[in-house]
Amino acid sequence: MNQLNSVAERGIPPEALEVMRSIDARRRNFSRNTKISLAVMVLLLVLTLVVLGLDFKFMAKWLKFILTGIGFTLMVSVLAISLACVLSVIGALGRLSRNPVFNAMATLYVSLIRGTPLLVQVYMWYLALPQIGGALQDLGFVGIQKYLTLPAIPAGIMALAVCYGAYMTETVRAGIQSIKIGQNEAAKALGMTGAQTMRRVIFPQALRVIIPPVSNEFIAMVKDSSLVSLMGVWELSFRAIKIGRRYFQSLEMLIMVAVIYWVMCIVLQTIQERIEKHMARGERGGNG
Amino acid sequence: MNNSKVMVKIRNLHKVFGRDLHVLDGIDLDVSVGEVVSILGPSGSGKSTLLRCINFLEEPTAGTIEVDGVAIKAGEKSKGHAAKILDIRKKTGMCFQAFNLFPHMTAIGNVMEGPVTVLGQTKKEATPYAEELLDWVGLSDKRDEFPARLSGGQQQRVAIARSLAMKPKIMLFDEPTSALDPELVGEVVDVMERLANEGMTIIAVTHEMHFARDVSTRGFIMDGGNWIEEGSPEEMFTNPKEERSKQFLAHIL
Repeated sequence: MNQLNSVAERGIPPEALEVMRSIDARRRNFSRNTKISLAVMVLLLVLTLVVLGLDFKFMAKWLKFILTGIGFTLMVSVLAISLACVLSVIGALGRLSRNPVFNAMATLYVSLIRGTPLLVQVYMWYLALPQIGGALQDLGFVGIQKYLTLPAIPAGIMALAVCYGAYMTETVRAGIQSIKIGQNEAAKALGMTGAQTMRRVIFPQALRVIIPPVSNEFIAMVKDSSLVSLMGVWELSFRAIKIGRRYFQSLEMLIMVAVIYWVMCIVLQTIQERIEKHMARGERGGNG
Repeated sequence: MNNSKVMVKIRNLHKVFGRDLHVLDGIDLDVSVGEVVSILGPSGSGKSTLLRCINFLEEPTAGTIEVDGVAIKAGEKSKGHAAKILDIRKKTGMCFQAFNLFPHMTAIGNVMEGPVTVLGQTKKEATPYAEELLDWVGLSDKRDEFPARLSGGQQQRVAIARSLAMKPKIMLFDEPTSALDPELVGEVVDVMERLANEGMTIIAVTHEMHFARDVSTRGFIMDGGNWIEEGSPEEMFTNPKEERSKQFLAHIL
């Protein structure tokens, strides 16, 4: 209101004020109505669950036990995404490299990993790798098998990291290529080497472009981390499925674990928005 | 001109894009220390390509380029080739039509970037000179602004300061005012003129009349990949020798 009044003082005619007010109201109403709609939908969902006769007591009883699995889920996800970030930067540099060997390696990596199911890859790291170790040992590499026999959690982290690293390689490459050629030229004209240009000029700008898709990958990974349950790791979904089966109340357990994942992802999304806002400094309209 | 020191010497420079786009067709150019050269010519005549060949943003197809004693022959495969290119780039400053400021750095950050990254100075060492340069282009008060919050003219002045921070021997201007609103052209030309008055060697591709006619010491008109007119700017504008020059000048004057 204050804003509108001060505008009026600047000599804007009263009928314009009316229009400005209605535009303002339209915007406010939209965001309010969206929030109401969302709340109603969530309420309906909860209501449906009550009508279905969900055993909330049973859920409350096992909540703590299942939540204990969050530690594994988060640890696997965070370690795997960190490793995937490193792999994707190396992969992207390879995909853009003029060195034929490095370039071919990166292309093969992306093609092979993206072309095979994650499920197969997980088993590959866990079950097939020791066999490779055995074969190598027979060929004379003494003692190698014990290094290639990974426990469940490291195998899961490696599988997720290598797989997501391949997808993210393409994200990072696209991010680097989205930076205008003029930036490269300006850096070169100052006398920067290729590596300096990448580190100081291109990559920091590409980072801003790739944060949203990488956050997207991370959110997907938090859920894909449930694949480590295949190897008997007691993470979130493994616990939920076990308990659900034991007491024939899978519905309760599955809904509960789904909600837990959902909440985790909402938290991550909020963090992503914060980071994006921070990275938008210097962009047109950003506040410095 | 014979007894003055040579800053740029170009011999028989050719540039072919792809297989048959012959943009530069055997250019020769000598520029002495302190000279201010303006290059004019119709769009597509090869002006920008010539400028970009001088600091090897484009790789020449044939010919030699010498900048401040560092000579490179097109296509040479010597070990020191890359180092010589870096050497030439450190001696030359370049301003672009689209400014090309680094959007993730503030004005002062842009100006310090060369000294810090290329010359290995600390930020503390680089700051005083960067501030001095920003002051010189009249933008002390925009020190900590990001480029997106500067006008085109201000951005181009920061870009000039960024180039000058490397203490170049020669400045290349590639249509520095073509992307600017008319009322912003003056502030950039003004900085270029002061730079010329301080004795900087300049090669500018520009159609800005005041700079080309009054500030330049020599003018060139280019068409079809080579010079069609060369001389004192005064003479070139008032009394061009070639018919093609007359036609071109009639379009821009």
